[in-house]
Amino acid sequence: MDKVEVTERYDLPEDVVFCSRCVMSNQRPRIVFDEDGVCFACKFSDYKHDGVDWKEREGELQELLDRHRSKDGSFDIIVPSSGGKDSDVVAHSLKYDYGMHPLTVTWAPHIYTDIGWQNYQAMIHSGLDNIMGTPNGIVHRKLTRLSLVEMGDPFQPFIYGQYLFPLRTAMKFGIKLVFGGENGEAEYSGNPEYWDRRALTLEDYNAFWFSNISVDTWLDKGFTRDDLAMYLPPPPDEVAAAGIDRPFWSYYKKWTPQENFYYASENVGFQPNPDGRSEGTYSKYASLDDKLDGFHYYFMLLKFGIGRATSDAAHEVRDGHISREEAVALVHRYDTEFPSKHFEDFLEYCRFTDDEFWEVAERWRNNNLWEKVGNDWRLKKQVA
Amino acid sequence: MANLRLIARLDVKGPNLIKGVQLEGLRIVGDPQAFSQRYYREGVDEIIYMDTVASLYGRNNLEHIVERTTENVFIPITVGGGIRSSDDVNRLLRAGADKVAVNTAATQNPSLITEIAERFGSQCMVLSIEAKRRPDGGWEAYTDNGRERTGFDVVKWAVRGQELGAGEILITSVDREGTQKGFDVDLIRSISEAVNIPAIASGGMGSIDHLFAAALEGKADAVAMAHVLHYEKLSLATIRKKAIGANLPVRHV
Repeated sequence: MDKVEVTERYDLPEDVVFCSRCVMSNQRPRIVFDEDGVCFACKFSDYKHDGVDWKEREGELQELLDRHRSKDGSFDIIVPSSGGKDSDVVAHSLKYDYGMHPLTVTWAPHIYTDIGWQNYQAMIHSGLDNIMGTPNGIVHRKLTRLSLVEMGDPFQPFIYGQYLFPLRTAMKFGIKLVFGGENGEAEYSGNPEYWDRRALTLEDYNAFWFSNISVDTWLDKGFTRDDLAMYLPPPPDEVAAAGIDRPFWSYYKKWTPQENFYYASENVGFQPNPDGRSEGTYSKYASLDDKLDGFHYYFMLLKFGIGRATSDAAHEVRDGHISREEAVALVHRYDTEFPSKHFEDFLEYCRFTDDEFWEVAERWRNNNLWEKVGNDWRLKKQVA
Repeated sequence: MANLRLIARLDVKGPNLIKGVQLEGLRIVGDPQAFSQRYYREGVDEIIYMDTVASLYGRNNLEHIVERTTENVFIPITVGGGIRSSDDVNRLLRAGADKVAVNTAATQNPSLITEIAERFGSQCMVLSIEAKRRPDGGWEAYTDNGRERTGFDVVKWAVRGQELGAGEILITSVDREGTQKGFDVDLIRSISEAVNIPAIASGGMGSIDHLFAAALEGKADAVAMAHVLHYEKLSLATIRKKAIGANLPVRHV
């Protein structure tokens, strides 16, 4: 299997530099640092905490919802929802704090974990309507396997559906508002163009989240249009005619994952990971529903040297929950842990043998970041 | 029935009093000094300071908080979090703590319990156990604030802790902690029936009925409270009055 030159492919800097305030490195695609060595995700966080007039945003939210609120009880909003803590907050709050009539729409995980299924059920039983979309299991597994080999991330097929299925459902029901969670480009990359971005456009999404690979690419890889029915975007003119607005909750409300956890625990019956923390991190409440989650993060670690603990800790530093010193300790302790708990399930799902999996892993391991010491691969440079 | 002690539990990270849910989350509630003094004035029997993330970060730095607290709080103070040696215990006792609570280090090195008990006395060696229900029955002991599994059966571990010299068991239900849904009464009863040393029930108090259940059904010797006190859902005066009304053997103040 040909080795991928990750640094070149993602246009990453050769020298690894860590943000002086959080623990994120300059290997995260699209992130930018200022002249003081502070990443723009931290700068966006400052803006979020001190620069945004949240009262004014609340007024804008009220106005938006007043415009869309249905008079006859029919659905007026779609909330894409996994049953995780974040979408719990958006859906529950829209219904019970703002008197909207949300339909939650779930794009099924590859393989539900028990806790994920339990939280999904808890969301419905907390008083929310739901539709779940589940793609053809054979197609989805083949796409996932190919996605890992070709793109170094098993989640690409899932991400298509996560974006498209709520859109399709909105078109079907004639619903004009699809409420997303956080604005990822602002929260995690800190791209200033996105700081005040209220809503998502299809162009944004194509450019950033599809890694510039549209769904059509898969047609060249032997999949038929029938196979890809759940993944193909509706024609642009139909999308335009549907006039669907896809705002971010994080534009209107300050996005704090920890506060989402407290809210979801209290109001939606959300439960954290029954095993304690999740593998690769110290967190108990994030990305719990899919047995494949750990591999998405593990390949991020192979490619960019950024593991799950780094992502979680960086956000918690920005939110003021932990100090940088604490974050560094957490990264050292957990970041490179292999997600062994669901490894067998992952291999079985993708029809990989153990050897094949490690071939793919070596294909994507970034040798600019990793070195072999004895029998172990180690990161040449970790945050300190 | 021996006296039922009312204990305020203060989870601390760095300079702040924090409060989680199921031992997750670090929401800042305020200044631990201000809270412990208020609880002292309102007549709490004891205070527990727990540096909930000390083991996670491999540190312990509650000494200064204990020192400041003992300047004007004159009730027993138990301190836990990141204690790895009897020298750590010595430092905390010198700073003014009356007892120490040990979890992670004891699971890694059970003889530490004996070492502490022999050097300072069993009365100051509290074995802290974070208990999480197993799907197939019983409970497993966790460490690092409910993050790491130990594989230990909670009841067996409590019994062993007593044998090794622990003077008290602080039993925290990870499932109920911060939820206000009531204590895990089965858990508390399983512990209090298995050991002769006092069991402190922790995790889940949301109403006065929960206290009654922990004391009467769970046979707890002490009840640790956090959420209801920090967020002022219940006052200590009310709790004590209602406990007396229910003929529970709490101290009259």
